[in-house]
Amino acid sequence: MSEIIAQDALRACVSEWLAAGKCVAGPRQVSWNRVLYSYLKKPEELLLDSEARPVNSIKEFFFPKHEKLYGYKIEGNDVRLTETAEALPEQVILGGRPCDAAALPILDHVFNWDYKDSQYNARRAAATIVTIACATHDDACFCTSVGLAPTAESGSDALLVPFGDGSYEVRCLTEKGKALFAGKTEQSDKTAPAHAGPEKKIDAAKVEAFARDHFEDPFWKEHALACLGCGVCAYNCPTCHCFDIVDEGNAAGGERARNWDSCQFSLFTQHASGHNPRASQFNRQRQRVYHKFRIYPEKFGETLCTGCGACTRNCPAGLGILGIATEISHG
Amino acid sequence: MSENAAFEPKIIAFVCNWCTYLGADLAGTSRLEYPANVRIVRLPCTGRIDFNLLIKAFEMKADAVLVSGCHPGDCHYTSGNYHARRRWMLFRELLDLLGFDMRRIHFSWISGAEGHKFQQVITGITEETRNLGPYKLYEGKPAAYPKFPETVLPLGDFSTEKELRQTARKLLSEGTVQVVIGYGERGPIFVSKAEDADKLVWNRNCLTNLTAYLKRKEIKTLGKAAIVVKGCDERALMVLEQESQIERENLHVIGMACEGLGLPKCAGCTVRQPRFADEVIGEAKPAEQIDHYAALDVLMAMPPEERMGFWAEQFDRCQRCYACRQVCPMCYCEQCIVDKNLPQEISPSATREGNFAWQIARAFHQAGRCVGCGECSRVCPAGIDLWALNLTLERAAEKNFEYKAGMEPAATSLIGSYSAKDEEAFIQ
Repeated sequence: MSEIIAQDALRACVSEWLAAGKCVAGPRQVSWNRVLYSYLKKPEELLLDSEARPVNSIKEFFFPKHEKLYGYKIEGNDVRLTETAEALPEQVILGGRPCDAAALPILDHVFNWDYKDSQYNARRAAATIVTIACATHDDACFCTSVGLAPTAESGSDALLVPFGDGSYEVRCLTEKGKALFAGKTEQSDKTAPAHAGPEKKIDAAKVEAFARDHFEDPFWKEHALACLGCGVCAYNCPTCHCFDIVDEGNAAGGERARNWDSCQFSLFTQHASGHNPRASQFNRQRQRVYHKFRIYPEKFGETLCTGCGACTRNCPAGLGILGIATEISHG
Repeated sequence: MSENAAFEPKIIAFVCNWCTYLGADLAGTSRLEYPANVRIVRLPCTGRIDFNLLIKAFEMKADAVLVSGCHPGDCHYTSGNYHARRRWMLFRELLDLLGFDMRRIHFSWISGAEGHKFQQVITGITEETRNLGPYKLYEGKPAAYPKFPETVLPLGDFSTEKELRQTARKLLSEGTVQVVIGYGERGPIFVSKAEDADKLVWNRNCLTNLTAYLKRKEIKTLGKAAIVVKGCDERALMVLEQESQIERENLHVIGMACEGLGLPKCAGCTVRQPRFADEVIGEAKPAEQIDHYAALDVLMAMPPEERMGFWAEQFDRCQRCYACRQVCPMCYCEQCIVDKNLPQEISPSATREGNFAWQIARAFHQAGRCVGCGECSRVCPAGIDLWALNLTLERAAEKNFEYKAGMEPAATSLIGSYSAKDEEAFIQ
């Protein structure tokens, strides 16, 4: 026996959640050539098209690109903190891909390792994640190479597997998922077919092994020449999580905020003295590969990559993790 | 009106030290009364007033701003006010496109002897602003996405790939250049061995404006370069040369005749055939002419507050990945203004204010320089219509000064020069 839900019923759920004051996010067509995961105002905005691939990832609903940490006021010699504990609304993140959701347990390690990040954890606790299994893949996809699959369940509260006729098999994986879909589904004896996903393209273990003793290899220099040093790869990566802390304000006070940051920017490692330990773009690109395949795995035992292909798909210069990792894996 | 009756506008006046500040001083010593709503910020010269300051003033809740300096011909530094005038002529068009309330942005010439004029101008602005009410910056109601005119997206045939490879092989084997900057299967490549020339491709994916690599130090170390350019990319070379960023004789330019890559920017392209390359491969038929600025008319037909709503919605998506800056051949500053934090002029945060400030700064630094290669729009992960910002400045340059960047190798830089005859109907 399985539970199923039709697209119309799913949209009706979105209406209901919105009416109940929840924040609902999902894929939305924002311009003629871009789909982004974003908050929805109306259920019609939800784009349920298996071919449409959002540029960004769902991490921004837990780790926003800009987040106020606290406010401060300066009076004479005193600095007073003005903490604003805004209540977070319940969130439903709908229509993410399994490779997006799989990044969340990975991020959980980082945000709870030496310091428990209350804001990140609060957002996680307030959210229910409903992913839709992939029915197609493109040239940049490589989830199967990092131990995932189009029906991977990691990080999801519920997984919808499309039948291809506009309805989905609902697999509730956690209590949150069960609560969300309670009474919304119909019983059926059909089960949805699983899409096989992309063939295996890279070998993460080989990349890790290569990284171990090729730090000074000319490979890195050759493969970073085309890199223009923007932050597209890191900002749209579901697992990249670096941030910068900034103070915004004037002599009377202001706020301390957390902004996304990217290791691909020269400013990322620049010292106040002007010295930059990662002086060239190849140092920075090597760092990104190392963090994904060596540094993070060493610390937490997993690869910091879910094979979503966002960096490869969106790089202005046609680079990305897949190309580099493929070359290491096969040569 | 009852709300406005109690409302006292805050007006920020950026004035030059030598004329308008003295005018204000004279108004004071002559006991000429003017509203206390004005806060005066004294700067050396109007030519030194950074456009970002105006945006900052609005961010800090100014209801109107004034920029005022010496009358034409009176500048203490000979020509600062002329430079300022040209800059404001272009800047006003950008602000107008973004939906700023142009009734709140004022310019005037007030000399040190015109205490009376200072009194009049400040009184006038204060009264007008009081009637307008408090400025709700960046708040317009989001409009429906505008219907831009539809265009056919031309696509060339790319049969000249073989010739390109031959040319590159020859250049490398004869030692004319050490590296060929071109396109490979996945993106830009740097070919330094003659036997690798076959890695070069010429197809519809040859999108990147490769001239952006000329600024990168990693590329400069590769030796004398040949670069593959399309007609649109070639315009960038001209501006870079005009601004002393490249030495043209140290660069071998391979121009590719291009009949379109199937992108919106290719519709009505006027530079399909490269004109100043060392060698041109292929021959392109001229494109059907279209009115490039028609899309701007669609935006300008919206009421200003709706236009601001449109941009607010767009800029809210900005991630600050700076892909727009990094792919731009014209953004070659070693340190971008947004990366400077002593003082922090532009907020690095991806907030609405921060993103407006950043996008305004980026766009206006391209005034009279953008060559319309469209790379910023293409690479933006958030799909922001950046082209419209560049296009409005291009139109302003063409309309006011009959100037188009990167078309004439001998042209004088628009923003680096001035004319005593520049139009000044908008200056009090």
